Amino acid sequence: MSFCAVLFILLVLGTPSQAGDLEAFHDLHLNDPGAVQEATRVLEEEVKLAARAQTYLLIDLVTQTIQIKGRGIELHRIPIVAWSAKAVQNMKGAYRLIARPPVLRRKIDPTASIEQEPISLADMPVDYTLSYSPPLTIDVAPVVGENPVQWLRAQGKMWWRNAKDWSDSFSAGQSITQSPHLQLEVSAEQGRSLAWSAVDGMALVIRRPTDK
Amino acid sequence: MITPVPVTFSSLILIALLVADVPPNSQALLPGSETHTLSIAHTAGDAHLNGLQARYKALSAQLSRLKPQQPYILVDTARNHLYVKRRQEVVLDALASTGSGIILDKPGEGNDQWVFDTPRGEFLVQSKLTDPAWVKPDWAFIEEGEEIPKNPADRVEEGVLGEYALGFGKGYFIHGTLYTRLLGKNVTHGCIRLNDGDLKRVYTFARVGTPIIIF
Repeated sequence: MSFCAVLFILLVLGTPSQAGDLEAFHDLHLNDPGAVQEATRVLEEEVKLAARAQTYLLIDLVTQTIQIKGRGIELHRIPIVAWSAKAVQNMKGAYRLIARPPVLRRKIDPTASIEQEPISLADMPVDYTLSYSPPLTIDVAPVVGENPVQWLRAQGKMWWRNAKDWSDSFSAGQSITQSPHLQLEVSAEQGRSLAWSAVDGMALVIRRPTDK
Repeated sequence: MITPVPVTFSSLILIALLVADVPPNSQALLPGSETHTLSIAHTAGDAHLNGLQARYKALSAQLSRLKPQQPYILVDTARNHLYVKRRQEVVLDALASTGSGIILDKPGEGNDQWVFDTPRGEFLVQSKLTDPAWVKPDWAFIEEGEEIPKNPADRVEEGVLGEYALGFGKGYFIHGTLYTRLLGKNVTHGCIRLNDGDLKRVYTFARVGTPIIIF
């Protein structure tokens, strides 16, 4: 085989491994057009977010992870145990957090000699809702085995929301446009970690699976 | 001078196959047949996929270029750790103390409050100080139930911030502490405390302009 052909083969074989190091989603099947299109859409949003001095969230429903990111670097990873969603097709673009669970902060009383306990991860809730603009609601609930009561409460909330949507749709006499809604089950510890890290105005991008 | 290299017939076939991206076991396509129509659709699909792949790779590369090329400081306020990282490599993992989240009412200013959180987001090292002195802000006196001094010199306290301090804006610093037993806890007024050894390493490593990412 000639020198040219060998050189060409080396080049062809060499390129994918170099590109692979740069690829944002290592799980991506490059021959699946839907998956590549979704990854591209997410990357278009992420490049805009990573260009600014801020931290942001990437909820990757394909790899079942929540990633706290900054400048494109993964800072912290939270595994999702299970998830369900409504109006997934509408979960496009970047969202901004507008409401998060309240945190009970202790107040210093200068007249009292008692030292106030600082807040810690243990003060964070495990069952809560995050609201975003444009409209998107994310319910975070603990895994059933860890806290059955809170899990039941979260399921009840989900059921109530579905019933209300159905009722609204029924009274309107037509199908109304649904705001996207995501329910995430994570471990109690990771739920607290997410509540801690999700700060007002924080941006979010969601990577959706193409087969669900 | 470039010496022409003879190209054999077999290598030409191989190159043609690679360029056309044709699977080696694909059948020959005859013009006018049904297979030909399918092949046009297939080619259009391939072109679309190739376009998507190219866009995906370009965006991946663009995102990669946005990552800090120089070492950076990462602070996890939930678990009270400070890391010095070079790309994905952890150069230093130090136990830290970050903001307590406690609030203090501002006197005579309606509902205004101080919230002692460590700010989140991305910052830059703006200053590097040796033997820093603490210029106590108003809240330091108010929380102790003391009068705010009129003489600025009465605000200065030496020896409480350790040997070094790195400022990252709005009065926030990475500095040392006398209370090393509280490292690993959220106890500060927003600054980031380290023990003497870790502080020295961070000080030595960091430059003005080093990114600090806090989450």
